[in-house]
Amino acid sequence: MSKKFWPRGVIPALVTPFTKDGKIDEESFRRLIDHLIEQGVTGIVPAGTTGEFMYMKPEERKRVIEIAVEQADGRVPVIAGTGAASTKLALEFTKHAEDVGADAALVVTPYYVRPTDKEVYEHFEKIATSVGIPIVMYNIPQCTGFMMQWWLVEGLAEIDNIVGIKDSSGDMRFLCSLFEKVGGKISIICGHDEIAAAALLAGADGVILASANVLPDIWLKIYNDVKEGRIESVRKTQRRMQKLLRILVRGGALAIKEALRMMSLPSGYPRLPLILGDVFGYEHWEEMRIELEGIGKIPKSEVTFEVRGKTIKSMVPAIPETPRKISNLTFRVGEGFAGPPIFEVAHIDLILGLKDGPVGRVCEKILKQPQKGHEPKVVMERPFTVLVPTVTVRTERHARLVYEHALNGVKMGVEASINDGFLPEPLLDDLVLIANVFVHPVASNARRVMLNNFKAMRYAIRKAIEGRPTADAIFMYKESARHPFRYTP
Amino acid sequence: MARLHEVKGILPALVTPFKKDESIDEQALRDLVNFVIEKGVHGVVPVGTTGEFMYMKPEEREKVFKIVVDEVNGRVPVIAGCGASGTDIALDLVKRAEDIGADAALVVSPFYIAPWDKGVFEHFRRICSSTDLPIVVYNIPQCTGYFISGKVIEDLAEFENVIALKDSSGSIAYILEVIERTEGKLNVLVGHDEIVMAALMAGASGAILASANVIPEVWCQLYDAVQRGDITKARKLQLGAQKVARIITRYGGPVAVKAALGMRGIKVGKTRRPLVSGGVLSWEDREELRLELEKLGVLKPSYGRVEEFPKEEFSDIGLTPEVIGKHGMRVAKCSAGSGTEEVILSAVVGTLESPISEAFALALSLPREGYEALTAILEPNLMVRPATLIVPAVKVENMRQASMIYGPVQAAVAKAVADSLEEGTIPKEFAETGLMIVKVRIHPNALNRKMIYGNTYEAMRTIIKEIWGG
Repeated sequence: MSKKFWPRGVIPALVTPFTKDGKIDEESFRRLIDHLIEQGVTGIVPAGTTGEFMYMKPEERKRVIEIAVEQADGRVPVIAGTGAASTKLALEFTKHAEDVGADAALVVTPYYVRPTDKEVYEHFEKIATSVGIPIVMYNIPQCTGFMMQWWLVEGLAEIDNIVGIKDSSGDMRFLCSLFEKVGGKISIICGHDEIAAAALLAGADGVILASANVLPDIWLKIYNDVKEGRIESVRKTQRRMQKLLRILVRGGALAIKEALRMMSLPSGYPRLPLILGDVFGYEHWEEMRIELEGIGKIPKSEVTFEVRGKTIKSMVPAIPETPRKISNLTFRVGEGFAGPPIFEVAHIDLILGLKDGPVGRVCEKILKQPQKGHEPKVVMERPFTVLVPTVTVRTERHARLVYEHALNGVKMGVEASINDGFLPEPLLDDLVLIANVFVHPVASNARRVMLNNFKAMRYAIRKAIEGRPTADAIFMYKESARHPFRYTP
Repeated sequence: MARLHEVKGILPALVTPFKKDESIDEQALRDLVNFVIEKGVHGVVPVGTTGEFMYMKPEEREKVFKIVVDEVNGRVPVIAGCGASGTDIALDLVKRAEDIGADAALVVSPFYIAPWDKGVFEHFRRICSSTDLPIVVYNIPQCTGYFISGKVIEDLAEFENVIALKDSSGSIAYILEVIERTEGKLNVLVGHDEIVMAALMAGASGAILASANVIPEVWCQLYDAVQRGDITKARKLQLGAQKVARIITRYGGPVAVKAALGMRGIKVGKTRRPLVSGGVLSWEDREELRLELEKLGVLKPSYGRVEEFPKEEFSDIGLTPEVIGKHGMRVAKCSAGSGTEEVILSAVVGTLESPISEAFALALSLPREGYEALTAILEPNLMVRPATLIVPAVKVENMRQASMIYGPVQAAVAKAVADSLEEGTIPKEFAETGLMIVKVRIHPNALNRKMIYGNTYEAMRTIIKEIWGG
């Protein structure tokens, strides 16, 4: 280990908080850095991929790095994201990072026009030999279109100033070839959240992760467990995190920012083209929230339900948009959609209301005079819940999927919502739910039908109770909405 | 028989008609051959990708060659699909085709485990050196996982019996590369239906197309237009067929071709499993295909029945004129557009305390077949407020109508509500305290989604203005 700097441990790839009108939100950024350092992270990476470096002007990127160095104030090393498509620009950023006192620079392979190995070699060589600051190379083929090969890394590792490589490819074979070829020579850092625990177990020196913004404590536990040889514990933690990590990796900076906001650590908005409902879909947002609740990142807090003079306090996993007082439950509408796969998607229109109100009356009526092909079925008695098929049921298989599998999913959704506190126990005798449930006539994967309906029902109940989407959310997302059946194929 | 030196014009990649028990339907195949030849095609290609070669045994493929060669009877060249993953199997098929009297063989690059350039070159070299039958090399990377590079084609063009390349990749750059590299030693046949016009203009000598089973006359006209140098006409024909081409190449392949032939009255049965209708070709796309064939004029539109406008519009869900009057609910009706794209909407609006909430719940939970109600959403997981229910007033009889109501209509009603709420036409507090029910009438033969979306939006905005603005 002759290198002058050896990145190790758990290093969050910081998000860059922006204000609603797109400016760098310095205050939130500083708060986030303090929070993460207090949690014990062993370094920070400003202006990386998660930091939306590609959406920032040169002056802004430099400013972000300056703020990070200033705020870290020597408590942990700062590895500044200084990559660019061109060598000249990357060099300019790297020199700047050196000048302002960053401890190292994270330099991504050139992107957009895919260079050859030779050009990538010379890119790193030029930068590393022109500055004094240590360089960590960065391989992220899903963004750059270029996958580094071990021989390229091996050659570059000879250069004094190159101290490490961050690999975000998620390719365990590549990491293993790096352990073999350059292990102990340069620091090998895993940058793919979904395999990070496995990478640490296999011998990675550390991790630079988007999800470490949200879960620094959990990554530190995994890191320490690996160091102490508690393999079973690492596996257990990793498995509990896997779904959340998958969602966070998919959602990138946008998901991280939403997660932090849900956890009452507001970290601003992302910049366009990142937008909710796109790669990171509305259903991913709902699912991420539920996963964060599951690991205690969104603790329950008190919400007051006022129904016909009764005041009931319920503990629910509230996020900033959850109303703290819910006063009219006579008639509420919620909608929930969950997929994939395409033919097994669940789409629920939910009406939720009081038994002695219009919903209760309608419920009695439809059970007395069922419509052929759309027969309602009682899901459970408490709260009284009825399922109605959206699509006319014509085949045996479709009937089974609707009345058994989707119904089971709906039931699980209601039970989970009782458990979550959104349907408070003292109100269960007063409430009636009618779920209009869509199951595609050609659906076949019964388990997915059940699980998607479970999710869709849970989302629909939350949305009905919380009044989501709010008018403001509708205004924010209405122009970018893309109805799947609006267009010709 | 004179040896075939060049291939040109429009050649349908024939589907293989199967009976219900999945056996080859000889009569249907003969009928199909006659149908396309009468429409003017310049050759036929049995047992290609569209012909489901990958689902057929060698004996079955041989049988199809025999039937086609017999039925064509020298009227146009027959290029037999002889591709296989293994070289020896492909060669065996080429020899059978040669014995039967096919004019050439279409040989795809090896698939499943795709070799690299060397393996592919050897595959074709072995075949070419073991037969005299002219060979058409076939590049279809989306199926094989391998793209035959221009360099390999350059070398293959040196074999005397390699007369053409069929390229289904859809890349004009590649077609031009091949033409440039091979210096006239072989013809290029475009195999991607979406770029036929562009490829012919670029110098392809012809096209082997799945959609040429369905609309051979359109492609033949296009070919003639390009030969005459009538670019305007060629463009118009390509664009007219664009959606048919897109649906067939991207969403349905043989399933779509067989469905479309069925619509035209050419009965060719179903595809072999695993391909089924409702799979790669969704029911919605199938209806879209019908609609496009109607637009092309090869199918006559079948007009349905429009129901009479009911007087007591919302009485069926309990909102009689008396109830509406008594509870201060407001109603309005509006139409926009004309012809089959006309949209007629009527709406009732009321507060949560009024009987509209019960009517809303009832309409959603007591669906009648063909009149199923759904909430207005901008897209899934993005419903609008005030919560708005859309109820079809004309019976939805098929997937095409359903995809109009639960597609452009649903999206346009939602957008009109969201926009009206934002600009304040709908009072902000009403978002939480009110409900809206909209009955929708569109023509069962509505064709144009964009117009339906626009007309619905316009009608809905007008209704909202009527209710709150007036």
